[in-house]
Amino acid sequence: MLRPGGFTFAFDYDGNVHEGETFMCGHCGGHKHVKPFERPEDIGGLCKCCMKPICPRCVELGDCDPLEKKLDRWEKFGIG
Amino acid sequence: MRYSSNNDLAGTKQAMAATYKTLVVLTAATATLTRGKVYDVLVGTNGTPADNPMEFDISRQTAAGTATAITPVSLEPGDRAAGTVGAANATAEGTITATSSVFYIGLNQRASYRWVAAPGSELVFPNTNLAGLALRARSATYTGTATGQMYHEE
Repeated sequence: MLRPGGFTFAFDYDGNVHEGETFMCGHCGGHKHVKPFERPEDIGGLCKCCMKPICPRCVELGDCDPLEKKLDRWEKFGIG
Repeated sequence: MRYSSNNDLAGTKQAMAATYKTLVVLTAATATLTRGKVYDVLVGTNGTPADNPMEFDISRQTAAGTATAITPVSLEPGDRAAGTVGAANATAEGTITATSSVFYIGLNQRASYRWVAAPGSELVFPNTNLAGLALRARSATYTGTATGQMYHEE
């Protein structure tokens, strides 16, 4: 990805280090692994409302509910 | 301010099973409701090395289970105490919100793993009482113990 949301390091038993990248879903805040130059539609989708990459689970929900709004809602009304 | 929490700080590490066992959980504290951001996660095992499948997950928790309280360690000694409550090595699982996994990785038991957030992409939990993030592990075949470490800022 151009701007990954996270970096991963897997350390094998034989000392090898495998590095990778993750992206953050703009709706749920979850991280998923991505391959270099992977397109948004291949990792889930690109929300055309908030223009952020989102995970397959949030794509299926079909609406735009950005994480920041969710956090505000949870803090006001509780998680439920 | 940045803090470190892991399941070696207190309590007895629990044997892995086919269902998730919470290693470390960070939740907003009643008295000092603070939004927290997890920016670094490290997981591994400390049992006899063998080829076993391991699964690690971070999900949102809304009610505490039974676990040993830990105090997140400030990374700068001059900082105030964390406004977040930590707990480790749960013997009874808390209430986990369904389909709320924000991080999931499958590993060989021999491997260890680190994830570091890019600035602005941390795992955020709200300043809602008892709400937080639980780092959990399970294995279909491994029955030893696992290690978990989360760094967070608030």
